[in-house]
Amino acid sequence: MLAPPGNVDFDAIRKDFPILSRGPQALHYLDSAASSQKPLCVIDAIAECYRSQYGPVHRGLYPLAEAASEAYEKARQTLARFINAASADEIVFTRSATEAINLVASGWAGQALEARDQIWVSQMEHHSNYLPWQRVCRDRGASLKVIPLDCNGQLDLDSADGLFGDNTRLIAITQVSNVLGNINPLEKIISLASHNSIPVLVDAAQSAGHMPVDVQALNCDFLVFSAHKMCGPGGIGLLYGKKERLAQTEPLLLGGGMVDQVQSEASLWSDIPARFEAGSPNLAGALGFAVAADYIQGIGRQAIEKWERELAATAFEALSEIGGMTLYGSENSEYRGGILSFNIDGIHPHDIAQIAGEQGVAIRAGHHCCQPLMQHLNISSTARASFSFYNNKEDIAALVMAIHETKKILGG
Amino acid sequence: MDSVYKTVLLDHFHNPRNKGDLDNMDRVRRGSNPRCGDEIEVGIRAENEVLESVRFRGRGCSICLASASIMSECTKGLTMPQARQLIQQVLEWFGDTESGAPSNTTLAALGAVRQHPARKKCVLLAWMALDETLANK
Repeated sequence: MLAPPGNVDFDAIRKDFPILSRGPQALHYLDSAASSQKPLCVIDAIAECYRSQYGPVHRGLYPLAEAASEAYEKARQTLARFINAASADEIVFTRSATEAINLVASGWAGQALEARDQIWVSQMEHHSNYLPWQRVCRDRGASLKVIPLDCNGQLDLDSADGLFGDNTRLIAITQVSNVLGNINPLEKIISLASHNSIPVLVDAAQSAGHMPVDVQALNCDFLVFSAHKMCGPGGIGLLYGKKERLAQTEPLLLGGGMVDQVQSEASLWSDIPARFEAGSPNLAGALGFAVAADYIQGIGRQAIEKWERELAATAFEALSEIGGMTLYGSENSEYRGGILSFNIDGIHPHDIAQIAGEQGVAIRAGHHCCQPLMQHLNISSTARASFSFYNNKEDIAALVMAIHETKKILGG
Repeated sequence: MDSVYKTVLLDHFHNPRNKGDLDNMDRVRRGSNPRCGDEIEVGIRAENEVLESVRFRGRGCSICLASASIMSECTKGLTMPQARQLIQQVLEWFGDTESGAPSNTTLAALGAVRQHPARKKCVLLAWMALDETLANK
């Protein structure tokens, strides 16, 4: 099923997504950075799970329950392969990428952080990779430090004094900005960090389904992403953690399925990763997540990355030609994933998104959960078009039409 | 598709009434919605409890600014209790109840936004700021 990069029929792939042909109005879905659409194989896998496979995971001794447990663990192995983790035990299922970051913030940083310590994030982080660190630093009397951005929205590492210094306990950074589309130089950052034994957490929410992600090649300590942004179901995400890092982590949630022995004074946690998965596991979610990973792997992430970059570059060019537009992020498509934020002079992004919506073009407007970045850009919000491999150039033409229509109605 | 961008709203967006300078106002209050960056200041001038002038300034989306403009027009000349009653009616109209559609046709133009719950805050921002101004909070 593996196709060589650049040789994938992306137009045919659109047929895998029933929602794209639901009618009567054409749907130009350009909001995949918020949540992606689902291919039939994922929809079917979830339905099939409830139709014929469903049972409690790690809780029953009858055949249905045993098969459910086995399928759940097989999904974990699939996800481990998807990011080339050394072992499936390094994969923890969570409800979301957000929960995965909170688990590391509370369960890892919250255990060891001291008053003089620093945690570094960047100014382009999503609130989910900002607020957990802000709180744990406040609670432990440590400092939250922010890597500034240059005028193109690229990381300004030279101005981040002490980033790789002795007081840095963790660098938590996104691989791809959910607003600017900028791809961060993680190899360089992780290499410099590792010289000083500084762990790095990678927020791969915007990259895992869009470009090759190899945790061993990256050499990151933690990495998080969610299923729903990569064609999988809602309500499930994962935390990858190096074995020794997970061993240093306390569970965030306590309850059933994560403990071996409960006594009145103290209890003994189960092995990793079970100790981080309190409560009944999300079987259908895990199966759907794994099918989505296999589906994306089958198309090939190099081919996906190439096509999405081409779409973003085409959109960047088309939007640049319209008067009164401000486009954010890098002009160089080498450093840009399939995300494009913009504003039209004198028109509020909410109006752009609403009028575009009336034209069948689904884009996002707002601060995209990135208020520190908005402060850097000195704006309150942007409109954002984000691309997936199921988009095509007609979607871009529709976006351009919608922008012209917005300008016609509101006179920008 | 039933657009919210109808003639009356667009007219108030393109030609806002009572927008700008708030220097001669008796009282001014600010309303803001940090989620979308909208900020509206509303000022009133009253003589014997009657609103002689209702003005606003600020930034926001077309719905927010058109709503502020419509509000300034619809409340001018009302007594302060009447204005608060009208605000209450608008809040209820955009609340969960089906009742309370206003008879005033200019005001009724805002009704197109009711089917877009995400934009209700845009409509109500100026009205809530005016309510605070009247309550002198």
